[in-house]
Amino acid sequence: MNEDMQELERRSRAAFDESVESLDAATRSRLARARAKALEGLKGRRTVGPVLWIPAGAAAAAIVAAMLWQREEGGPATARNEATIGAFEDLDLMAQGDDFDMLAEDPGFYAWTDEQLSDGVG
Amino acid sequence: MPEVRVDCSATLEVPLSLGSRDGTRENSVDRERALDRFLAGIERRAFRIACIALRDRAEAEDAVQDAMIRLVRNYGRRPEDQWRPLFYRILKNRITDFQRRLKVRRAVMAWWPGQESEEARPDPFESAVDPRGRPDEHLEGAELLARIEKQLAALSSRQREAFLLRNFEGLDVAQTAAAMGCSEGSVKTHYFRAMQALDVALREWKK
Repeated sequence: MNEDMQELERRSRAAFDESVESLDAATRSRLARARAKALEGLKGRRTVGPVLWIPAGAAAAAIVAAMLWQREEGGPATARNEATIGAFEDLDLMAQGDDFDMLAEDPGFYAWTDEQLSDGVG
Repeated sequence: MPEVRVDCSATLEVPLSLGSRDGTRENSVDRERALDRFLAGIERRAFRIACIALRDRAEAEDAVQDAMIRLVRNYGRRPEDQWRPLFYRILKNRITDFQRRLKVRRAVMAWWPGQESEEARPDPFESAVDPRGRPDEHLEGAELLARIEKQLAALSSRQREAFLLRNFEGLDVAQTAAAMGCSEGSVKTHYFRAMQALDVALREWKK
């Protein structure tokens, strides 16, 4: 690149920097809001990670096993179909990450309910 | 410079909030702060670059916001040194999308009776009277930038991108290549041709 082009390069960059510095307050404010909005995406996002898929998979396997066992036991065809549909609906619900968040965030509550139920039965 | 591969159509979502559940809340907060700092440092320059490429302020704001959201959502967990080229890659794709839509709209409008195409209208910049009289001494600040912006519009999109990213944003050749999705050799060629075209155009204007 010749000297003229290098000079143009330098001056155009300086002119651009100047234009960035002189951006009006309203635009700056809108950009800051846009940034805040983008960062909001970090909060409240729930995606099921690999660790949480393990209990999900185990629960799903248990439901499938229960369905098969029920099928072995026999019973009216309609009842079996309803049970199957219900089981698949459960699978759908379990596939949602939030349900597992609840389990992970409050294990004490589930221990307590388990205890209460055991007391009631015994 | 590690290789940066970007898939802007990717729907894989990175669970940044997972840190709060597995005992790494601090890491998650640190990352959020780092992203905030990064975006705060880049947003104004990105907006000006989008303005020059799109020639539409409202659309430029939307493009920058969209790029921010996509970067945070899809690439926030990538190493920090990759954010800048990734951000500009996303922004570039957004700008290209807008330009395609605009082209289609113009083609449709050209067929619409009684509608004047944007190209047919006189350019207000061209017809404006220079308050300083003779533009023969030197080009300063805003005036130089306005001339460059006008000339950039006449360049190919690849040359324009190379110029905006290399010169205005200050990305190095490797980062520009990552942002543009091409080889470093192409970046050098596009940038040199852009500089050459601008140099010639501005010389003629000075005469």
